[in-house]
Amino acid sequence: MVDMLLMILAGIGVAFFGFVLQTSIAGVNRKVVARIQKRYGPKWYQEFLDIFKLLSKRSVTHGWIFDFGVIMALGGIIGTAMFMPLTSTLMAFDGYDNFFIFVYLIAVGMLGMAMSASGSGNPLASIGVMRALTTMLAYEVPFMIVVLTIIKYTGTSSLGELGLFQQLAGNNWFIIALPLGGIVAVMALMGMVGKKPFETYIAPAEIASGPMVEYGGKQLGMLFIMHEITVFIEVSLFVHLFLGGAETVLFFIIKYFIVYTILNIISSVYGRFKIDQVVLFFYKWPLIMAVTQAFIVIYLGWVI
Amino acid sequence: MTVELVLLITLVSGVLAYFAGRYNKLYGAVVTIVASMFVFLSVAYMAQDINSGTTFNYNAVEFLPDFTTFTVSYLGIFFALLVTFVFAMVSFFNPFFVDKYKYPAVYSMLYLFSLAGVLGVFFTDNFMVLFFFFEFIVWSGLFLIPLGKSKKAALSYYAFSTAGSFALLYAIFIMRDVTGTYNLYVGLGTVSGTTEGTYVMILLAFAAFAKLGAFPLNVWLPRALGKAPDAVTAVFSGGLEKLGAFVAVLALVKLAPIGDIQGVFGSYTDATFMFASQYIIATLGAMTIVFGTLMAIRQDDAKKLLAYSSMSNGGYILVALSIGGSVGLAGGFYHIIAHALASAAAFLAIGAVSRVTGTTKMSELGGMIHKMPVTYMVYLIAIISMAGIPPMGGFISKWLIFQAVIDNGLILIAVAVFFGSIGSFLYVFRPLAALFLGQELPQHREHSKEAPLFMLLPMLILSVLIVYTGVMPNAILGFINNVMAELGVNALNLGSYTVNGTSGVLQPTLIASVFGVGVLIAFIIFIVLKKSKKVGLMDTYTAGNFIYTEELMHYSLDFYAPLERLYEKYITITEDFYKKLENKVVDFGRMVKYFFFTNKPEITVFWIIVIIGFLLWGDL
Repeated sequence: MVDMLLMILAGIGVAFFGFVLQTSIAGVNRKVVARIQKRYGPKWYQEFLDIFKLLSKRSVTHGWIFDFGVIMALGGIIGTAMFMPLTSTLMAFDGYDNFFIFVYLIAVGMLGMAMSASGSGNPLASIGVMRALTTMLAYEVPFMIVVLTIIKYTGTSSLGELGLFQQLAGNNWFIIALPLGGIVAVMALMGMVGKKPFETYIAPAEIASGPMVEYGGKQLGMLFIMHEITVFIEVSLFVHLFLGGAETVLFFIIKYFIVYTILNIISSVYGRFKIDQVVLFFYKWPLIMAVTQAFIVIYLGWVI
Repeated sequence: MTVELVLLITLVSGVLAYFAGRYNKLYGAVVTIVASMFVFLSVAYMAQDINSGTTFNYNAVEFLPDFTTFTVSYLGIFFALLVTFVFAMVSFFNPFFVDKYKYPAVYSMLYLFSLAGVLGVFFTDNFMVLFFFFEFIVWSGLFLIPLGKSKKAALSYYAFSTAGSFALLYAIFIMRDVTGTYNLYVGLGTVSGTTEGTYVMILLAFAAFAKLGAFPLNVWLPRALGKAPDAVTAVFSGGLEKLGAFVAVLALVKLAPIGDIQGVFGSYTDATFMFASQYIIATLGAMTIVFGTLMAIRQDDAKKLLAYSSMSNGGYILVALSIGGSVGLAGGFYHIIAHALASAAAFLAIGAVSRVTGTTKMSELGGMIHKMPVTYMVYLIAIISMAGIPPMGGFISKWLIFQAVIDNGLILIAVAVFFGSIGSFLYVFRPLAALFLGQELPQHREHSKEAPLFMLLPMLILSVLIVYTGVMPNAILGFINNVMAELGVNALNLGSYTVNGTSGVLQPTLIASVFGVGVLIAFIIFIVLKKSKKVGLMDTYTAGNFIYTEELMHYSLDFYAPLERLYEKYITITEDFYKKLENKVVDFGRMVKYFFFTNKPEITVFWIIVIIGFLLWGDL
């Protein structure tokens, strides 16, 4: 019982660490993007200020489902983050860091947010949700095929063990060992964290920030926290699956920072796809590459 | 309590329901509740007996012919328990819907008759009895469906079901020819691995596909489920469709698989080994998943949408059963349970909405959550399970199916399975957004109110079970292990709280409690912060436009329009195929008429003599 409580506390610690880490790195990245655009950019802790300001403000609500959805969204995401390993051996619930938990438990949070947004009664929010779900349909299938390849090849779906597998093979990271799959995974990650060219569902100038249009005050603040933790989960998934996990927390932070910064740099030079272009894009080359990679690994047994 | 007695009681109460219904509509419906609850409880009692190892003499009734034998097996109990439970839950809806039907007394009778058919199918070990009850269900359904909106839907159902029944009948004849007995287990055991086994396998698979509504025999399912009375839809999707799964178990697990591909492809099959027959059926199942998902996304009628989702879930069951192995089979069986509970709950929730609004079209509904919050929660829990999201039952089964697919390295089937899984988020969310959420439309604001307690009761029981199957699956998986032991498959490895797949461990209870902790934290954050001011739904950001009508602020028509545009050219392919087939059949009929039944009788007589001569050649 006490063990269980300690594990849960550790899990909450992981979620909090993820929040702080991602929010700081997001702040640094605002500066990076600003420099690309020849601006000075805000302070690195600007994201924290934004969130705390929002949490302290008085806001409006559109009924109980509007609030309930926000709670479910943040709760689901915190729950998911609690399972995330930091290094390949350091995690709150040892042995239960199954890949599918992250992919599907994260969906509870997404569903909560989508529900809350639709509950606001604003059609722009519903359009945003529609686009978010369509984008998800696009990037998830190629990504899952790449992960299928990895799970079939290593025989485990635990993130920690996958990281250890890569480290034991002499730091043979899957992004190099499975080059086609690695490229697909980067593209899917761009879609997951909603970076251009796949940020169609937020599209500020077009559908007024989509799902977020009706929020303000504490609801928006909570959704900001949720967004930061979601990005933490998605980028960490990539680090553990493709970049050989992490031996120490410092390595984890370095790898994490590099991945997120590269995503932002790529993102800042692209325009935005239309939503049907997103679907067509992912179901063309990424899917073909993912299936080819899976075929090469599973049937021919060729791994670099 | 013998099976015969339960069957007899069900049939008699069916007749009783008819006469009670003639006297007063409501009494007939009440009889269906009492009778189906009784049947469920007696099946549960049998399940308890078989668990404790008691044996029965199930042939106690003297006056039945010798071949009418019944037996209680784990497989039969598994399906019977599930389907009778769905019948019992749905029967609570009958009193509220009977006055909408043209023939309420007939409805009550047929409801119980199809329940009797279910019992007969699952508990017999004799093929002719199986066929008899199979047809019994088809005929009951044929008259149940037209009580809803359309008569044509029933015809479509009948055509496909009859094709399936005939396939079953031919399979029975082949087995009878080989073994000389109608015994199910002897028959299936004997033909396994022989040439006849191939035919039997194909025919049984055909029957299973027709009943499950799997591609390419899927045309009837959305028509029948979309147009049938609301309660019947829930029974069909949650219960009767599972007959197809039962026949699929007979074809895929009980029969030895055919087509050893290892000899053909050599070492390439090291990673993935499946028999050709299983692989073909898994591929068709995968196609069912994709087509069902794509069609469900573009429906406007909530019932039709859920019907297509049933089709897609039928595909999952086929994929899982054909992959086999302890993980795949357990996933398939668990998916049968999870989908039956979730789809019954979802259809009942939609039925409750349709009762107060008179429509199931999403474009005509909106904001029902404000008047029907409990129904909304039931629907929410059901769709979380349907989309395979923890902490609901659907997650466990999908997780097991994914394990089986990945372990066998079936890449293309995996594409379909993942596509269907993500696609299910899209289609189940649509009724949620368009029907329950969004603007509260004025035409439904006055007269709609929450469903009465008696209707909420079965929905809540189903919801509790959906959560239970997601949080504590081990008791049910233990029962499934018994079923698999009977089928000769290794048991799934279960811990006290954990489920062990081939590539990982799952602890559903932990996931649920961690999710609970997360929600608790979020709730605390929410509650300690300043309280929000409540504003109306029309008080929203409209980018400076002034909009005063709710319809204009409600986004529900063509929800996924950009996605639908990508494939809407190709959606009628199957329907067109059957249209063409129909035309060909009519043409063939005309030709037969032209040659054989002209207005000159001597030509007809001539052909009859020729044919008789041909048939009797050698004997004469």
